[in-house]
Amino acid sequence: MKSPIAGQFDSPNGKPHMLGPMQRIRTPMRRFAESEEVDYAIVGVGAGGGVLLQRLARAGFRVVGFDAGPFWDTERDWVSDENGSHKLYWNDERITGGEDPLALGANNSGKGVGGGTVHWASFTPRFHPSDFQTHTLDGVGFDWPLSYGDLKPYYELIEKELPVSGPYFPWGDPHSYPYGPHPMGGVGDVLIRGCTRLGIDVSAGGPVAILSGSRADRPHCIYRGFCIQGCKVGAKASTLITHVPDALANGAEIRADSMVSRVNLGKNRRVTGVTYFDSEGREHFQKARAVVVAGYAIETPRLLLNSACPGFNNGLANSNGLVGRYLMAQAGNVVLGRFDQLIRMYKAPPAHALTEHFYETDPKRGFARGFAVQTVSPLPIAFAKQMMTAKGAWGWGMRRIMMDYNHWATLGVLGEILPSADNRVTIAKEKDQWGLPVAKVTFNLCENDKKLIEYGKQKTIEIMWAAGAKEVVQEARYAHLVGASRMGRDPAQSVTDQFGRTHDIANLFVCDGSLMPTQGSANPGLTIMALAARIGDYLIAQGETIFSSDRREMTAPKIRRDLSPPDTWGHGMPTV
Amino acid sequence: MNKNGPGYYPGYHTLDQQNFWDETTRKVVLNRVHHVPEIRFFSPGEAQLMDAVCARIVPQDDRDPAQRIPIVPWIDERLFTGRGDGYRFEDMPPDGEAYQLGLRGIEEIARHLHGRGFSEISIAEQDQILEMLHDARPPAAHDIWKKMAVHRFWMLLVQDCVTFYYAHPWAWDEIGFGGPAYPRAYMRLERGEPEPWEKDEKREEWTAPGSSLSEKFTHVAGLAEHRGGPQGGTH
Repeated sequence: MKSPIAGQFDSPNGKPHMLGPMQRIRTPMRRFAESEEVDYAIVGVGAGGGVLLQRLARAGFRVVGFDAGPFWDTERDWVSDENGSHKLYWNDERITGGEDPLALGANNSGKGVGGGTVHWASFTPRFHPSDFQTHTLDGVGFDWPLSYGDLKPYYELIEKELPVSGPYFPWGDPHSYPYGPHPMGGVGDVLIRGCTRLGIDVSAGGPVAILSGSRADRPHCIYRGFCIQGCKVGAKASTLITHVPDALANGAEIRADSMVSRVNLGKNRRVTGVTYFDSEGREHFQKARAVVVAGYAIETPRLLLNSACPGFNNGLANSNGLVGRYLMAQAGNVVLGRFDQLIRMYKAPPAHALTEHFYETDPKRGFARGFAVQTVSPLPIAFAKQMMTAKGAWGWGMRRIMMDYNHWATLGVLGEILPSADNRVTIAKEKDQWGLPVAKVTFNLCENDKKLIEYGKQKTIEIMWAAGAKEVVQEARYAHLVGASRMGRDPAQSVTDQFGRTHDIANLFVCDGSLMPTQGSANPGLTIMALAARIGDYLIAQGETIFSSDRREMTAPKIRRDLSPPDTWGHGMPTV
Repeated sequence: MNKNGPGYYPGYHTLDQQNFWDETTRKVVLNRVHHVPEIRFFSPGEAQLMDAVCARIVPQDDRDPAQRIPIVPWIDERLFTGRGDGYRFEDMPPDGEAYQLGLRGIEEIARHLHGRGFSEISIAEQDQILEMLHDARPPAAHDIWKKMAVHRFWMLLVQDCVTFYYAHPWAWDEIGFGGPAYPRAYMRLERGEPEPWEKDEKREEWTAPGSSLSEKFTHVAGLAEHRGGPQGGTH
């Protein structure tokens, strides 16, 4: 299966393709002919698509990963510069509206191989067991079709593969991490000090998917602070550097700069491949025996809706009208505190300390579910924008505040917003550069959300004062995007089953954050990857059945610990 | 004024550290300093008005004229090349159109209040008009603000101005930001300690020259909770 292989890995300048200062892609990349029917076409090589691509390739499937953006060479393409990192995001137009419109772009999207993981802050807390059954426990949200116990071994596996650094984690299902915690930066010190004075338990130095010690061809963190501009060091995990190289070494192809415009439907309610535009705008069709959509919470529903065709007039896999619905963002209010002493928050990873003390429902608070408080450390431009809204700063006032940049510390609320059918992705009348209708996002908060945000904000402000701030202000905002193609047990209430298989079409899958029925108060990246690894095991266990039959096996597969990338095992510390 | 430029870190020059930056980053930052683009999107009249407006949004009167940071050419370049932020509020036109409408609105307000164009009135009068936009209480050009929410235009404008000002290494010197740190690293993470090549803060009284209407802090449009501000990533 390792042939045909066509030439060296592409590099326009003849230099090796670098992922960080040491890791390079040596493997010649396999190229499939369009006429050749591959096993899987995966649309989007981010957190979900990147892990799945690697699993399927290792198991010997013929698989192509499409990404609308470039295949980054991190030495050549990335910079230690805030404004110079604009190209890492999905910057094509989308329309945002509703009572509480979401900022998109840099806030919650990626474009290019690695997707959002190239610029995530890389906080990697697990979801709590309660997140999988909020409806049963709290009468809100929607129960997942799988339990924490189903996902736990995959959490453990992905924590080793990335790997994750951090101290013993006391909340949810307590656990430890394969790499030790990071040293504290100024903002982490503020969170630890404030929480400790208030008797709130707090985690110092993680959990983050950033190496606290070197491993194989990846150096440890150098605390340069540009995590969300793309880690040139290679210390912060992204699927670009953790899973994609192994996928290529095992015969996967990545077709970058390729915008998939449609998933094509054939006979017998089965898909036949994908139509896409290459970097020069030429249209192509790639045959595939099964298709996995992994474009995240906006592009996944957009692609399914734009793939409407006779038999699926409202969009593929959308017979119940739920594609695009139950989109969620997390409350991400930023609380900013000014201190007499210097903080210099540009040093150390923005993500390095958090508390999940307030994560679970507490009936005394008057709302369901909860929130986390995390370090966030904006670089100057992001900080100036926050001050524009938090203080209304402009003119000389802006100049004066910014001269105090090194005195400020910022903490972020990460709060659970409940799923609502009316928070959704639809198709707008505007078209993008390929002539495809763009996504429209509509978002409104419900009463529970508003109470939760108010409480979380006040508690974070309290922590900031307790840490010794002399002035505290805040900015309302949101973080992350999940939902919009949710999984569930009941086909009338969900788009896919627990393995990401769409209820309508037996060889069409979803594998990204859009699967999530609820979101907890944890950053979603780790959970997306754990779900992808589990979906990978399922597809591998099912083998040819996926391609030849509509039969749905609903038994979970055995976990495959033999499919991890090299260097996963035998590194780090024994875990508790 | 400090001959080194404004700020509490006299003698600090991030550009002096450029040999310690990686090549790609160095190219991007030096290009910003040495290759300011020509105006291609705005008409000459619009560009002149933008100069006057941006000189109040991020005033630089305290900077040596040779050390002022270009802002309008970079906004122009963004609009000319159509580089957006990945989303547009449903109550807003595309960015380029928003700028053209907003500039017309500012000019109309100046003529309504003072009988002269925005570029011809005093700094205090200019600040007063911008404060009205900031407060979302424009006294004229209502047909324009019907097409476009005034507070959204305000945030678009301020966001772009601060983006290009604080993208410049001279602004990093002013605020004591360390700048690029790959492959060298930051080593002193705690207590706000400087790296050996950074400077300690030397605080002094700083008074904004000229009018200081813009030194007051009030929430945009009077709203403490803004729904849908312009945002980059956080956590």
